[in-house]
Amino acid sequence: MSDQGQFSSEGKKLRIVFTGIVISLVFLAYLGQLFVMQVVNTGKFSQDATSFSQRSVSVPAKRGEIFDRSHKAPLVLNSDSFQVNFNPAEISKEMIPLILSRLAVLLKIPFTEVEKRVPTNLYTSYQAIELKKAVDYGTVRKIAENLSDFAGVTWESNPIRNYRDIGSLAHVVGYVGNITQDELQVLYNQGYGLRSVVGKSGIEKRFDLVLRGKEGTRFRTVDVNGRNVGTSVKEEIIPESGKDIVLTINQDIQLLAEKSLGKRMGSVVVLQPSTGEVLAMVSYPYFDPNKFYTDEANQEYLRLQTDVTFPFLNRTIQSTYPPGSTFKVIMTTAILSDKVLDPNRTFVCTGTVEVGDRIFKCNKLTGHGVVNLSRALAQSCNIYYYTAGLEYLGIDRIDDYSKRFGLGQITGIDLPGEIAGLVPTPKWKERSLNYPWLGGDTVNTSIGQGYLQVSPIQMANAVAMVSNSGKVFRPHLVKGIVDSVTGELQESVPEVLYESTVTPEVWTQVQNDMRGVISEGTAAVVITTKSVKIAGKTGTAEDGSKGSSNHSWFVAYGPWDEPDLSKRIVVVVQVEKSNTWEWWAPKAADLIFHGIFSNQTYEQVIQELRPWYMSGL
Amino acid sequence: MSNERSKSLLTIDPLLAFAVLGLTTIGILFILSSGVNSNGILITNEYLKQLLWALVGVFFLISFSYLNYNLLRDLSFWIYLFFLILLVLTLLFGKVVNGAKAWIGIWGLGGQPSEFSKIATILFLGRFLANKRAEVQNWRVFLQAFLIIAIPMVLILRQPDTGTTLVFIPIFLLMIFMAGGKVRHVLYFAFIGILSVILALIPFVESIIYNDTNGIGSLLLDTRIILVVAFSCTLIISLAIFGYRKYKQRIYYWITYIFSVLLISLITAYLLRDVLKDYQVMRFIVFLDPNVDPKGSGWNLIQSMTAIGSGGLTGKGFLLGTQSHYRFLPMQSTDFIFSILGEEWGFLGAVLVFGFFLLLLFRMLYIMNAIKDSYGVLVIAGFVGMFFTHVLINVGMTIGIMPVTGIPLYFLSYGGSSLLAGSLAIGITMNIYYRRFRF
Repeated sequence: MSDQGQFSSEGKKLRIVFTGIVISLVFLAYLGQLFVMQVVNTGKFSQDATSFSQRSVSVPAKRGEIFDRSHKAPLVLNSDSFQVNFNPAEISKEMIPLILSRLAVLLKIPFTEVEKRVPTNLYTSYQAIELKKAVDYGTVRKIAENLSDFAGVTWESNPIRNYRDIGSLAHVVGYVGNITQDELQVLYNQGYGLRSVVGKSGIEKRFDLVLRGKEGTRFRTVDVNGRNVGTSVKEEIIPESGKDIVLTINQDIQLLAEKSLGKRMGSVVVLQPSTGEVLAMVSYPYFDPNKFYTDEANQEYLRLQTDVTFPFLNRTIQSTYPPGSTFKVIMTTAILSDKVLDPNRTFVCTGTVEVGDRIFKCNKLTGHGVVNLSRALAQSCNIYYYTAGLEYLGIDRIDDYSKRFGLGQITGIDLPGEIAGLVPTPKWKERSLNYPWLGGDTVNTSIGQGYLQVSPIQMANAVAMVSNSGKVFRPHLVKGIVDSVTGELQESVPEVLYESTVTPEVWTQVQNDMRGVISEGTAAVVITTKSVKIAGKTGTAEDGSKGSSNHSWFVAYGPWDEPDLSKRIVVVVQVEKSNTWEWWAPKAADLIFHGIFSNQTYEQVIQELRPWYMSGL
Repeated sequence: MSNERSKSLLTIDPLLAFAVLGLTTIGILFILSSGVNSNGILITNEYLKQLLWALVGVFFLISFSYLNYNLLRDLSFWIYLFFLILLVLTLLFGKVVNGAKAWIGIWGLGGQPSEFSKIATILFLGRFLANKRAEVQNWRVFLQAFLIIAIPMVLILRQPDTGTTLVFIPIFLLMIFMAGGKVRHVLYFAFIGILSVILALIPFVESIIYNDTNGIGSLLLDTRIILVVAFSCTLIISLAIFGYRKYKQRIYYWITYIFSVLLISLITAYLLRDVLKDYQVMRFIVFLDPNVDPKGSGWNLIQSMTAIGSGGLTGKGFLLGTQSHYRFLPMQSTDFIFSILGEEWGFLGAVLVFGFFLLLLFRMLYIMNAIKDSYGVLVIAGFVGMFFTHVLINVGMTIGIMPVTGIPLYFLSYGGSSLLAGSLAIGITMNIYYRRFRF
């Protein structure tokens, strides 16, 4: 053995030991890193692993249905509707065009459209592609029965809102639609998402949180290509169905009111004054929300939005008008309660009166002759109220009583978008018109003209106040919410909106005077029903502009002397001046009262009553 | 002598054989696991192929443990030359696999010459260093030795296979070190390598991770500044060499040492930036911050670390890994075999694999100490360098300590070439040990 082939053993050993140490240190460091990853931080990595492979799909909750007060057949329900999807990667590329052409025929969409949705570069995609929404059950059944011809086709239930024969209840019930960016900004914190369906108006909007329920979530595990792993769904958060809502609406009365108003721009409110329950609420023109779920949704929506008659407007709460002579009910109450004027004191109406340099006319140009308070209300004598308002009450008292009757403020009805109207005050006029309050303004206000603006629901409340001798309940449309678990109806409790300090004697006098309007006054000719004795007030209101047409009002309750307050009903009809002048409001009310109290439909009412004012129509 | 020989009738070293067998078995198990898809169906027969390769490997191992390694030494230059030619042929006629032209063969039979060229280079470099042992501290010998590894490195880099190319450097350094080379020579080389890479990548790191295009890195992109610095360095070095010649003081030696490291690094870094491909830069960038490109370049690293980390102490269980079976983990049977093991067998599985590798490496170190033939020592040192570097880089990249470089983990990763090359190396080691008393 030559020395040349060998190392000195000392140096060699040292270098081997050194190498061994370096190797050991590296392994130790790696073990340290592995320990940190797999023992110390394993939770974080496990979470990451789960998030890589888990996809959550939201499961829509069943939206609550809406019933009328009988709680029998729903006014609004959910109809089966399906979305048909196509999963290209599940079938061989050669087969895809064939299946797509079959689908185009079945779903009645042009083949070019299908090709656009499923282009060849997506043939390997595991992502389901939406082909058509709102496919009916029958079509989906055809696919399901011939699944071998429709490989790769899937569908998901996507129920749509069915408003059935909603008619004039469209304003009350409202409709739903996909959430918009602006709505999402506001509602994001309440659990709404990008794909939420949300109520757009009416009860659907106001009670969206009650109706919508809670979306469920289905988790599925996917591989790196997004393909489902395994067949079973791993975890699921069951969706919570929305709660059903029972309205205070009586569908028979609603239909009666709808037909009694007919095709006249205006509105009707039927109220139960003892509770504030709205029995009917009609606003004409109305819209058909069912059209929003068809293929022509956009055109229909555009048409309605540009319609000059504003069909989206719920005129009972979103329109205000001068109340005209119906305001004299409030004036009468003020005069009696504040005792500024002896109700028996008489004035002579000559047909005109001069205030400042203006001449104000009475509605009867030849004059009513000698009138006291009762006769003034019955005959709707303007001269009496001009004098009483200007010389005895004054604008401050008039404003005070207007507010006590709830005018100039929203009633807080459970519908979105209510407006307050206006009770003009001298201060308001100076501030907004920069012009001082004049005597003529007080005169105008005294007969419900001028700047005064009220909504039909406010007038219904005012009449309810008379009927209840000073107490008003908040008008509402939701009778109760159905507990989704027990099925029990949780009724809403009537809420007192305001209570007046006016004495019962005054109320009795107001009620008597309002009865006088019907029995011997202006409405005596048109109120032909014998089934109920009502008390009310007519009104015609000029809307500033001179012209032959006027707003027509009729506000009333009945039976006028029924001691059981819960049997009384308030009816307010408002017909806009754009209609050919036919003074329709009291006539519609006549039909409605007769229908309600003789329990008849509109057709039966017409047949039995054969009102004189319908003969020419 | 005859007495001693009778102790080991078998050429096989039981400890090395145990380590190799253990690792190969685990490898086959996880190649099987990696072939199971998300629905629990086995979709490849890679594990069967690997089993076949393992049997061929055992045959190689036993054959080479019998064959007198002195024959290999005598033929080492020709073997070395043969594989250089094969590498050139691969570049000309090879097949592209995973973006690198690394595979050559006919009738479906063939392999990756780069794997075997490592062994051929070790055999030849061992002989060269054993012969020049006395002069190994000489600069000229050092550079000659470097030339021996540089030729295959350049050829493999052309494929391009950066990972395998890099493996040559630790092999070279460890063999020089064991041959008695000066530590400062080894370190000189190491410093240049590290500094070049850092200087080359600083501008990319700044612009991609920190969105800063006006930092220090921008200075490195300015050719004028580079030229000024290079010229200054050259001047200093010239003066220092002159000073060293004249006064023979050590200070001049170190000045030359330090500034030449700087000069060479600057130049290589400058050249490197032109050679580096975008994906190579990105691999380094995502190593520093995988979230720069989580769906692209950072994907492999993020998925691998998630797989291993989520494995926990005891793992999710064999065939039960989600990262692997849902295919989030890329190249599970080859480069990322350690990740699927880490996911399904957890920390304890990783410890087991580390144990086998440590047994293998320390047994080889023990053998190096036990034998007297310097050629044998140097060859085994080369093998130790090779095995160790593969573990260092492959496992390092799966746990985020090393940038992602596609090199296999010996005995575990799927692939005939690396399994056979590994078996070959162990067979030769056993042979050297077996013949430690006979010359």
